[in-house]
Formats: sequence, C-alpha cells, structure tokens
Amino acid sequence: MRKLILGLAAAALLTVQANAETKIVCEGSSTVGPLAKAFAEYFMKNNPDVSVSVSESGSGNGAKAIINGTCDVADMSRGMKAKEFKACADKGIMPTPHVVALDGIAVVVHKSNPVKGLSLEQIRDIYTGKIKNWKDVGGVDMPIVVITRDTNSGTFETFENLVMSKQKMSDSCEVVGSNGQAKSRVESTPSAVAFVGLGFVEGVKAIDVNGIEANLETIQAGTYPIARPLFMYTNGSPKMGTPLYRFITLYLTEPGQEMVEEIGFIPVTSY
Amino acid sequence: MQRRARYTLDKAFTGLGTASVLIMAIVLLVLLVPITWRGCQAFIFRGTYFFRQMQKVEFDRGNTARLDKQRDQFLAAMAPAWGMINEFEAELKEMPRKDRKKYKANFRETKKAFEAVFGPLPDEKTPILPRSQYGQTRWDRANVKFESLYFREMWDYNTPTGQGVQLLLPRDKDFAGTKLEPLFDYVKLNLSKIMQPEVTFYWQFLVDKSIDSHFFGGIGPEVLGTIYLTIGAILFAVPIGITAAVYLCEFARPGSVLSLIRTCVNTLAGVPSIVFGLFGLAFFLNSLHVSQSKSVLAGALTLALMVLPTIIRATEEAIRAVPHSYKEASLGLGASHGWAVLTVILPAALPGIMTGIVLSMGRAAGETAPIIFTAAVSLGAAPKIMQVFSEPTPALSWNIYNLCTEHEAVNEIRHVQYGMVLALIVLVLALNMAAIVIRARISKKLKG
Repeated sequence: MRKLILGLAAAALLTVQANAETKIVCEGSSTVGPLAKAFAEYFMKNNPDVSVSVSESGSGNGAKAIINGTCDVADMSRGMKAKEFKACADKGIMPTPHVVALDGIAVVVHKSNPVKGLSLEQIRDIYTGKIKNWKDVGGVDMPIVVITRDTNSGTFETFENLVMSKQKMSDSCEVVGSNGQAKSRVESTPSAVAFVGLGFVEGVKAIDVNGIEANLETIQAGTYPIARPLFMYTNGSPKMGTPLYRFITLYLTEPGQEMVEEIGFIPVTSY
Repeated sequence: MQRRARYTLDKAFTGLGTASVLIMAIVLLVLLVPITWRGCQAFIFRGTYFFRQMQKVEFDRGNTARLDKQRDQFLAAMAPAWGMINEFEAELKEMPRKDRKKYKANFRETKKAFEAVFGPLPDEKTPILPRSQYGQTRWDRANVKFESLYFREMWDYNTPTGQGVQLLLPRDKDFAGTKLEPLFDYVKLNLSKIMQPEVTFYWQFLVDKSIDSHFFGGIGPEVLGTIYLTIGAILFAVPIGITAAVYLCEFARPGSVLSLIRTCVNTLAGVPSIVFGLFGLAFFLNSLHVSQSKSVLAGALTLALMVLPTIIRATEEAIRAVPHSYKEASLGLGASHGWAVLTVILPAALPGIMTGIVLSMGRAAGETAPIIFTAAVSLGAAPKIMQVFSEPTPALSWNIYNLCTEHEAVNEIRHVQYGMVLALIVLVLALNMAAIVIRARISKKLKG
C-alpha cells in the first residue's frame, strides 16, 4: 500500500515537471476585462501549456500591479499617467502600451427615457449638478439619478478628461465600482444616467452625444466625442516568439479583431 | 404577587426564545430554499440540441450515433426556416430602393435575434466566440430569446407623461406580405422539434472548466481553487495556532504581558477581513514577494492570518476545559510538563480544537475580501498542485461577486451564478459535516 502511494506521488511529480507551464497574469480594467477574458480563453485553447489568468479590478490597480511587478499584462482603459510612468521607471520597468481596441464611452439611460441625445455641455451640467431634472433636457419631469464610477476606473478618468473639462463632479453622484454595476443600476432605474464602455450597452439605451451616435463608423472616424483607445501594457516589448508575445499580439490577428468586434468594441484596423 | 410576576417573566422569556428560534428558522428557509432551487437549475435543466452539440465539441461527451440522428432532425426542421431567410434576402435584392430601406434595419435585427436562438446560419462564417457559435443551450433561455425574435421591442414615448412604455410588436406584421412572414409562425410551431429539449443532469458542472467566460461549461477551477485556499489556510494556521495556544495556556507566565498578548489576539479576531486582504497584498506580495504575482500561496497565508485568532481562542478554551486532574496525574507518574501537554492534555482537548478548525475552514472558504488582492482572478485555469506556489486561481466566493457585478452579460448566466452559490454552501456544509463526524469519532475513542 505504502509503495503504491509513493509510486503515485512520484508519478504525479514527474508529470508536473514534464509540462512545466508558463503563465501570463493579466490585471486591471473592467472595461478591457471581457476582451482579455476572450483572448485568454482563445489563447489557452490553442496553447494548452500556457495558463492565462485575468482579473478585473480597475485600470488604477492594473498600473499598480505592473509597477509592483505582480502582473505580466496590465489592462488599462486609459493611458498611463506621468506619475505612474515615473514609478515604473524608478523600479526599472519599461511600460509598453499596446492599443488593443478602440472604445466609445456610451452615455446610457433607461429604455423608457424619451431623451434621444444630449450635448457634451448638458452632460457636464448633469454631472456637476447644475441640471437636476430630466425635464430641463427635454425629458420627463423626474429628478436625475446620476451614476458615476470610482476614481480607480480608467473610464472615469477618460470621462473626466473629455467631458468634465476640469469641473468637479457633484457630490450627489452615486459611485459604483464597475461597468457591469453601472449598467445594471441604469437598467433598474428609469431616471438614471451613467457612462459605460461600448461593450456594456445591452439592455440600456445609449444616447447620442452632440447628435452623434456611438458606433463603429463614428468612433473610427473620430467624430464621436467621447472615444478612447484601450490598452494592454507590458514590461518592455516581449521577446518575439514567447507566449507573452503571441498573447499580446493576438489583437492584430483576424480572430483577435473578430473577438474585439463581437464583444462590442471597435477593432483598431479594418481588416 | 412576586411569585406571579416571576412566573410571567419566565413565560415571557421562554416565548421570546421560541420566537427567535422560529424567526431564525424562517430566515434560513427563505434564504436556503430559493438558493437551492435556483442553484439546482445549473445542474438539472432541459438541455437543447445545442447543449449536446457543445458538450460533444468542447468536452467530447455523448453518443455519436444519437447525436448524428439529432443533427439530422435539427437540419430537417431548420431547412425550411433557412430557406425562407434566403428567399427573403433574394426578394430584398429585387425590391425597389424605397421598400428595401424599409426592411433593411429590421431584417438585420431579426437575423441577429434568429441567430441568438438557433445559432449562426449555415452559409455564414463560424463566429469566433463560442457564445455565438451555438444557439441557446437551455430550453428556458431558448424561450426567452425566442420571445425577442417573435416580438420586436419598441418604446412608445407618446404617453401623457412622456415616460416611454414598452410595446411588443409581432414581427410577422412587420414583414407582412413578404417571404419572411411565415418564418415566425413556422419556428413558433417547430421550436421544440428544432431544439429537442431533454431533461439533462449536468453534474460535470462541478468539474468542467468555463467556456467563453462562463457562458458555457462549469465551475471546476473555482471549486478547486476554493478547496486549495481553504486547505492551504488551515495547513498554515493550525500548527501556529495550536502552538500559540498551548504556550499561552501552559507555559506563559501570567502577568501583564500575557494579558496584552490575549488582548491582541482578541483584537485581531475583530479586524475586518478587507484589512487582512490589504495587509496580505502589502506584506506577502509587495514586501516578501512570496510569489511573483497573486497566488494561492499568498491567499492561503492571508486567510491563515485571518483565521488564526479563532483557532487560538478555540484551542485555549479546549485546553482549559481539560480537568486539572489529568495533568496532575500525568505529572505524578513522572512525565515532564511538555510530555504531559503532548500526550494527555492535547488529545483530551482535541474535540474542542477540531470545532475551532471546522469554524475556521468554513470562514476561509467563504471569505472574499482577503483573496481579492492576493489570490483570486475572474478567469484562469485551475492550478495544478505544484503551481499553487506561483499561480493565482479563481475561487467561488470571489467569482460569485465578480459575475454579478462585472460580467458583461450577467442576465444570461444567472444559473451559473446560483450554481456557484449552491456549490459554495454545499462545500462549507460538507466540510462542517466531515469535521463533526471526525470530532464525534475522536470523542468516542477518547471515552474508550
């Protein structure tokens, strides 16, 4: 009996050593999350000896993880800030961006809301608290429930840069922690407004901004005003031929671009 | 008079006690029944033709001959529907421009809704994501999706208040007079012939990996990750905890230092779990670098810290409950203090210690906050046993939270979420049961 157990243990050890795996750890944005997850599963299916893991904790955490060297790929829905670059450089890390997709930040409302579109200025006024009722922007007479994201979110920072133009958001905004939460909050609240990545507009109504609808054409052409690239950062350019290199260049391949499109983002090239 | 008052008070107290027990039972029922009911639907449901196809392709399960027969039935039943779509496309091309414009957007939408129920059309390129490679795999979801094929959702804003009202317009009215019109009634009549629903017991849900971020497949990596983390935490916490408790009870000199240590342990027990999580990130990962990235090891260490106070306190209580005469008898027979602790006191205290370990295991399995930053990922392969030192893992508690807050299509996969909840509850219950059995056995053995 004991011999059998010993033999089994030895066999287990041997098999483990035989397929010594490489791993790729992705950390960061919840907007890039669905994309990273799709890439990861596609990649693992074709490379069974590589294990890819993805966590979605916000762009800020992605940056922190790459600064601390605890991830291989930092998913970020905004560019790295100077401060983060410096922190990287101080630790001898060279953050290298890969633009994996383009994304418009959709301003979403409940489907029963008659408002079709808002101008950037109106959106700003809603978030600063100047406009408090939907009737002021051509809607129904009901107070606006304003949903925003935590400061760790890349979507939040892009929105702040492109929409708020240095004005402070009102304190009465309700803060949620992820795109999914923002969406489901709007889905269940007829008077709510929120901003989410384009991959999260199922079940809610994305309204026009400055009269322009967020879709593939307007975002690729750059006419939709709240658009941004989605990044994956690595430490330096990965060595060609390594699993990390193949993973990070997946977005350039046709399957990669198709995944980007099927999830609802905009591919960077028109293949 | 006084006696009567006392009697009344006594009665009131008994009543209060019974009432609170009743309330607890009701709360448990209200909580557990829906969880169990909905959780079971992840395991037992009516699977469609697509479910069996998906199982064959992804996991190589199922009887090929039977599947081929079902495929023939599916193709035969679908052929007229696909034909109608093709005919309509041809008809659309011939139409005058004005009419074409009228149908174009609606047709695109209809086709999308059609593909959501019945999978991609045969002459189209296979989509890359598994979620769009198959039609609906569950009969209940197929019916929901069929509704949005049969009815077009529209919001009417011409109401007195201006608030939109949802209208469901049958699509066959939209396409009246065209070749597409009969499609809707055809698929309505033949839905079960196409989908071929069968009651399925999908126990592999517990061991399968997820396919396309939990759209299909099971929760194997999560279950395994939770087990790893729990066992890891106990492996670290139990030796340290018992040693500490023995020292505190038997060897430490009573005084201000000892009471300070006790206070510290008690305070540690009250620290919120998220603080442990942040501490684990800062200490194990960023300072000690126990692993390069998040890992099962770092998570288990953090969880161990969290359950340590519980184990210390339970062990202390158990040791104190051992009659003093045991120790005296042992010392009287010439045993040293250490030997007496090891051979007499600890075995006698074992049932109590086991209780502490049981409680800690349940807590370690269910906690989310300590593993967010140290071990848990929302997607990943289950690490093999040698990889626990370097690789992160999905875990039930974290993934339940992740699915309901961050997943992009949470409404489509509610059954997975409830399946996870049920699995976690059953896992914790099973752990407790196992430990209770072990405890009972040890007690029996000790009594001789």
